[in-house]
Amino acid sequence: MREVYAVGIGITSFTRLEYPLVEIAGYASILALKDAGLDQVDQVYLANMAAARLNHQTAVASALVDHLNLQPAGAATIENGPASGAAAIKEGFQAIASGMADTVMVTGAERMSEVNQLEATDVVASLSHPLSEAIYGVTLPSLAGMFTRLYMEKYGVTRRHLALVAIKNHANALMNPFAHVQTAISLEGILDGPDAPTNNPIIADPLHFFDVCPVSDGGACVILASAEVAKKLKKPLIRLAGVGQATDTHAVHERENPTDLLAVRLAARKAYEMAGIKPADVDVAELHDAFTILEIAESEEVGFFKKGEGHLALEQGETKIGGKIPINTSGGLKAKGHPVGATGVGQAHEIVTQLRGAGFKRQVKNAKVGLTLNFGGFGNNVVCLVFAKE
Amino acid sequence: MQKEILGYKCRKCGHVQYPYRTRCRKCGETVFEGNDIVFDTVPLPRDGKLLTYTDLYALPPEFEVVKLTLGIIELEGGQRVTGQLRVDKPQLGMKLHAEVEVVRKDAYSKNWGFVFYPA
Ligand SMILES: [Zn+2]
Repeated sequence: MREVYAVGIGITSFTRLEYPLVEIAGYASILALKDAGLDQVDQVYLANMAAARLNHQTAVASALVDHLNLQPAGAATIENGPASGAAAIKEGFQAIASGMADTVMVTGAERMSEVNQLEATDVVASLSHPLSEAIYGVTLPSLAGMFTRLYMEKYGVTRRHLALVAIKNHANALMNPFAHVQTAISLEGILDGPDAPTNNPIIADPLHFFDVCPVSDGGACVILASAEVAKKLKKPLIRLAGVGQATDTHAVHERENPTDLLAVRLAARKAYEMAGIKPADVDVAELHDAFTILEIAESEEVGFFKKGEGHLALEQGETKIGGKIPINTSGGLKAKGHPVGATGVGQAHEIVTQLRGAGFKRQVKNAKVGLTLNFGGFGNNVVCLVFAKE
Repeated sequence: MQKEILGYKCRKCGHVQYPYRTRCRKCGETVFEGNDIVFDTVPLPRDGKLLTYTDLYALPPEFEVVKLTLGIIELEGGQRVTGQLRVDKPQLGMKLHAEVEVVRKDAYSKNWGFVFYPA
């Protein structure tokens, strides 16, 4: 396999955006092309989950190529649920590693605000099993709620631990100008103060409002290139050193141990193996905290902490900026936002930013190795990426 | 006729799977009769115990209730299913009994599924 480098990055604010989907994708893409110093690429992948339903548009990668005058580049839309973004990066990696392409533009974009929030939740819920889950009214928050209850029961995680994830990620987002949620929150305000029940109502018990990510619009882009191209461009050399993907059962109830996220564990193992590193070598990570419990569970499954001890490490401040392994310096899905198809590319954007040393107030000192974990379905399709600074 | 939720019994190894899939999850086989893929259908048991649940307040648009309780139930025989719960104070491990009722409907169709009550 040939080596693959991330040579350009671009992002829009993750928020409510009053532009058509293709313009959102185009904006992030043009920033990344300019950042890389390229005006043409061999291949384009556009990660998007639900333009057909949300925006009544299909074949959006072709539309993006046209919008940016990138003909005759190859183009394909990658739909892989909430893991579309990192799945598209994996496609880009394969195109370059195989020698089929020297430059690939991987963009992720979603415009969810074209429908109301409940409809958006319902569109995302269409990834659940149609006959054995969706007919009952299952949504992603409900799967997360059932998972959280078991995790609490088995490992002693409390609502306070969940609130600490939210508080940390909101604080990180305040240092990220692209983040959707720009509000500091406190234990008093969301957990134990007199106004907490009003501020923080139940969504899917035991998960409350501040345990759940917002519905966002947004776009992000990463330009990938071969070593030969990367060495000619005047950018820090950030290598996409590890790529791992794994799947699990479609219906959550079929999993042997419902508190295991096996696809997370296996995807991370594959990515570490390819990169030739161990979990302890990772300096900064973006995990898929669509729900606060997921940051805790994933921090265990990717090997940062022992199973059942993620909440203890969180409590000790080990996942804060300045801690042993800072998680979600961008604010995470929780506060940076979750434009579904864009999320995996947005995570890569943050890690490349950190490895370039361009994180300003949220910079992790001497970050050399970074990891992203993009979680599709309720953990039935997971992609893990490892980036390394050279 | 009384409605049932069906499991799919493998003709090779006898494993009952739910939901339906083309290959048996246990032995990996697909049994054909001519061009048809065949499983024996068997009604799933109605009794089981509650593994986990949630009270969901943010509901898909066509549900005209404030709150829906959803759970994962392990049926007698070991299959697990997702279902709706009509239980005042659910407790993990409690015994439940299912009726098959309309669980979701829109303008054009009705979906039948498991609704669990205290046993
Ligand atoms: Zn079988």
